[in-house]
Amino acid sequence: MTAKISLRGVTKTFSVRAANLGRSTEFTAVAGIDLDVREGEFLTLVGPSGCGKSTLLDLIAGLTRPASGRILLDGEEITGPGLDRGVVFQQYALFPWRTARGNIEFGLEAKGAGRRERRERAGEFLDLVGLTGFADRYPHELSGGMRQRVAIARSLAFDPEVLLMDEPFAALDAQTRESLQEELLGIWERTGKTVVFITHGIDEAVYLGQRVAIMTSRPGRIKEIVDIGFDSREGDLRADPRFGQYRHHIWTRLRDEVAAAQANEREAVGTGG
Amino acid sequence: MADVALAGTADQTEPVERTGRDARPEAAAEAVAKVRARSGPSAAARWGAAALRGVHRSLAILLFLALWESAPRLGLVDAVFLPPFSEVLLALKELAAGGALREHAEASLIRSLAGFALAILVMIPLGLVLGWYKPVADFLDPLLELFRNTAALALLPVFTLILGLGETSKISIITYACAWPILLNTIAGVKGVDPLLVKSARSLGLPPYRLFQKVILPAAVPTIFTGVRLAGAYSILVLVAAEMVGAKAGLGFLINDAQFNFRIPDMYAGIIAISVVGLAFNALLLRLERRFSTWRTTA
Repeated sequence: MTAKISLRGVTKTFSVRAANLGRSTEFTAVAGIDLDVREGEFLTLVGPSGCGKSTLLDLIAGLTRPASGRILLDGEEITGPGLDRGVVFQQYALFPWRTARGNIEFGLEAKGAGRRERRERAGEFLDLVGLTGFADRYPHELSGGMRQRVAIARSLAFDPEVLLMDEPFAALDAQTRESLQEELLGIWERTGKTVVFITHGIDEAVYLGQRVAIMTSRPGRIKEIVDIGFDSREGDLRADPRFGQYRHHIWTRLRDEVAAAQANEREAVGTGG
Repeated sequence: MADVALAGTADQTEPVERTGRDARPEAAAEAVAKVRARSGPSAAARWGAAALRGVHRSLAILLFLALWESAPRLGLVDAVFLPPFSEVLLALKELAAGGALREHAEASLIRSLAGFALAILVMIPLGLVLGWYKPVADFLDPLLELFRNTAALALLPVFTLILGLGETSKISIITYACAWPILLNTIAGVKGVDPLLVKSARSLGLPPYRLFQKVILPAAVPTIFTGVRLAGAYSILVLVAAEMVGAKAGLGFLINDAQFNFRIPDMYAGIIAISVVGLAFNALLLRLERRFSTWRTTA
């Protein structure tokens, strides 16, 4: 299998101005990340809060540049955002002045598709995410789950090769989340996209991912990559005894990191930073 | 009695629609359809409900007018300085019949609209630029605050001094008064765009000018429009004062002139005319504003 996305020694630092000191300090979000995402793979990424998961996604999306290291997409260095990658955010990020259809057409407009083609494709992807008949609704007229479906449809409609998802289901209730997880797997199987999915839920990571990458606490590194070896995803995966084993393994590996992250936080609060 | 009961059911349409919309739109649509079907047959009842709501909304005004009518008649105030409302209405009718009212209103509206339009044409583009280049906006902010908080009318003598007594100074002062709410709201509108929307658009590789056209501008429209509506109100407020100095026509001139010549009912007639113009202008802008920001959840 060839690597779709390769990260080699990727480090990202921010300069933070400390309010009480009046000078800026370096803040390392992620350090020396090495990671290969295979073509057509569903990779989930878990880590304690504040470990730089979202920073990593921004880097792959091309929204920020690494301080050092290289990020390659199909062997070419990523220099900025592009339509070969689609991003889905936790807070949907839909344009409130556009209808569901208008939102889905947005990426197609950026791609330069004609009016007719845009309309057709938007209809197609509304069907794909189960929102047939909601084309003319504005985001505020849709439930959270429906909004996230629109956001997913928007990111798929312009046909990117990679789908980057930043805790997309975190703001949804448990039932909506489960049904969207299932649908996402279906969409992934049908479209064959490469998916990088960030989550803080271990269950979600095991359920969705073919591989689960575990990150350390800040500065984030890849601690371990776990292969999830279910033969088939049919039926109730969560009831499979191996699901519990994977879950427990990742939980154990994460526990130390969560403790470290909390100690970090306490320290930051303690120094008034 | 029947009207009142049916008015109740018609009123319920609104809350049902609103709570339903957030949770399950299809259910809301059904509920609305049901309620509509129930109150559908009697159009008369809906008319009755509308009339009732109209009375309810204007009750305070009607009471105020009743007080205006009766206070001078009962001798509570001097009828010479505050003639009863009916007498003022008569004076208004006479002014309208003679064509004087129309002439004054026209002169006023032309000034108001010219100043208002000029402010829109200059300040919206300027505000967009300033909002986009944050360092420039931050640099100019204290100066803008200073100007905004200087009452436009305090500067009226300055305008008259420099631009003379003619139309130029009058339109200029209106433009000046309208400029600040439009400029500041446009800047705020551009600066206040949800960064996540910008990030989302940027992730698609949109170049800056497209980002501005497709995201920043539409997101800022409601805020800009609030400024425009405020400016509309200012354009009428400042107009009257501007017309009190060296004008030959206009509602402000009419009010001032009537007072000098002791035509007190005419003076009140002018005041009523100006408040009606102001109300109508505001209603028009409000309607436009709603149209441009239907997508706002807090509409």
